[in-house]
Amino acid sequence: MEAARSAATTALLEARGVEVEIAGTKILRGADLDLHAGELVAIVGPNGAGKSTLVRAVSGMQKPSAGSVSWSGRDLAEMRGRELARRRAFVPQRMPVPAGVSVREAVTIGRSSHLRPLRRLTGEDRDGVERAMERAQVTRFADRDLTTLSGGELQRVQIAVGLAQEAPVLIADEPTSQLDLGATIGVADRLRALANSGLGVLLVVHDLALAAAIADRIVVVSDGHTVADGAASEVLSTERLAEVWGANAQLVEHEGRTALHVAWLSHHH
Amino acid sequence: MARRTLVFAALIAALIAAVVCSLAFGAVKVPISTVIDIVLGKGGSPTDTQIVETLRLPRTVEAMLVGAALGVAGAILQGALGNPLASPDVIGVTGGAGFGAILIIILLPGSIALLPLTALAFGLLAAALVFAFAWSGRNRGSVGKVVLAGIAMLSLFTAGTTGLLAAFPERAPSAIFFIAGGLTSSGWRDLETVWPYFAAGFVFVLFLIRPLDRLALGDDVAASLGSRPQLIRLGAGIAAALLAAASAAIAGLLGFLGLVVPHVVRMAGGTSSHTFVVPASAIGGAALLAGADTLARTLRAPIEMPVGPFMVILGVPLFLWLLRKAV
Repeated sequence: MEAARSAATTALLEARGVEVEIAGTKILRGADLDLHAGELVAIVGPNGAGKSTLVRAVSGMQKPSAGSVSWSGRDLAEMRGRELARRRAFVPQRMPVPAGVSVREAVTIGRSSHLRPLRRLTGEDRDGVERAMERAQVTRFADRDLTTLSGGELQRVQIAVGLAQEAPVLIADEPTSQLDLGATIGVADRLRALANSGLGVLLVVHDLALAAAIADRIVVVSDGHTVADGAASEVLSTERLAEVWGANAQLVEHEGRTALHVAWLSHHH
Repeated sequence: MARRTLVFAALIAALIAAVVCSLAFGAVKVPISTVIDIVLGKGGSPTDTQIVETLRLPRTVEAMLVGAALGVAGAILQGALGNPLASPDVIGVTGGAGFGAILIIILLPGSIALLPLTALAFGLLAAALVFAFAWSGRNRGSVGKVVLAGIAMLSLFTAGTTGLLAAFPERAPSAIFFIAGGLTSSGWRDLETVWPYFAAGFVFVLFLIRPLDRLALGDDVAASLGSRPQLIRLGAGIAAALLAAASAAIAGLLGFLGLVVPHVVRMAGGTSSHTFVVPASAIGGAALLAGADTLARTLRAPIEMPVGPFMVILGVPLFLWLLRKAV
């Protein structure tokens, strides 16, 4: 069913053979990526495989040295900042927390991509800010300072800042890697709900069990290449977990719960 | 929000008080009611009118402009570099301007009228060198590179200044006033030369306020919103260089003001949002310099003390007191 829906809609994002070179070293050697409306795609892979570099490259934040990236058919290289800001929002792992800035003010900064230089916010912009806060479920503490928030609350605020751009795609780079279990569930549930409401969500994540539970598709990045793309049950096979992560592990799904059964110590090999 | 409005109101009140005192007090005291009449064009005695209009008004305007420019330069540099230690010193402007001024004072004392432009030119040259080094090679435009290149350039030009002073000790006394930093009663002449640099700097800053607020949420958020973080930093550096170099041309080296005023304003307003900090630093800087200059030339009138050290002596206790209360 997912495949049928993907084929029916045009891709919001289409990336082919993307390569990135930083200071003479090839970080990304050939990556393909598609994203459609209403789809949550998880990008997984070992440390240093190039996951973050891939999402930064398709976001226009890291210049690719080869390959093609297009957003709704428009070439990434042809787009200037303001246009790009309307096509995708990028949510970093952890943003700096300036003192004396409230949640609403931070989300308002997110809305500023809609404003021409020196123009003030209109009523429509203020509505957009409130809408973004509701979708990220941060309205309850909208007037609190960022410095007073917990890690999970701050991450949802970052998502709200991204949503205020009102782009059809939200890209989150390891949003849960510093959160406890409960906060991780909160953020994961929000991202899934946003995808269900029609947003395209690209999620870089380390937790494979989490990825398997919430993603429509999983893309595996290994050594600068995208090596697999598909449903969790196909992509995260025991063989691939061994090959890509060097782990003796198995993905288990049972009554809506997912887990990774891992042999942690080497004598089990 | 109410707190910020309150701080703005207090700063504006302080500025008005400082301006009125600056026009009224000096070697000759002009009653405040007369000052108001003269400024409003309702007359006053010819002597009073002449003192206020040709001596004190230009000096007060200079104090306000320089104070506002240094406050704003510090605020945008601290925001752009995300570093509380940033001030016009760290992009080399102060060192360059000082060297340019001393060059004229010592080598061409007959052409002292060239001092403002030379100070301005060397201030901008030093900043340009800092940017050229910081924006080349790997990691271009990183905060660490800007700060280190700035400190290197500051050391270089300061060494040149000290070298000149040591080589011509008999001319050093006339250079002290510039290095200490102070305003002079030279009418509108200096302002006529450098006002375009102030104007360009202030206009530039208006366009930087929103990008700087984006940058406060990190380079990635700024990039997500379509800004280029390195370009924002470069823009802030250029605007600050224009403002600080023009200030040095008029009032010598007053780096302290640019460092401290934005911090005081942030602590008082309880926020680092640039839509508040930048205008508040402008008003606060203007009020502080106009007030300090008035004190510096009235306390031991007719002797004028240089306002720089004076301001530091007054400002440091206030700054430390606020710092103690800050979380």
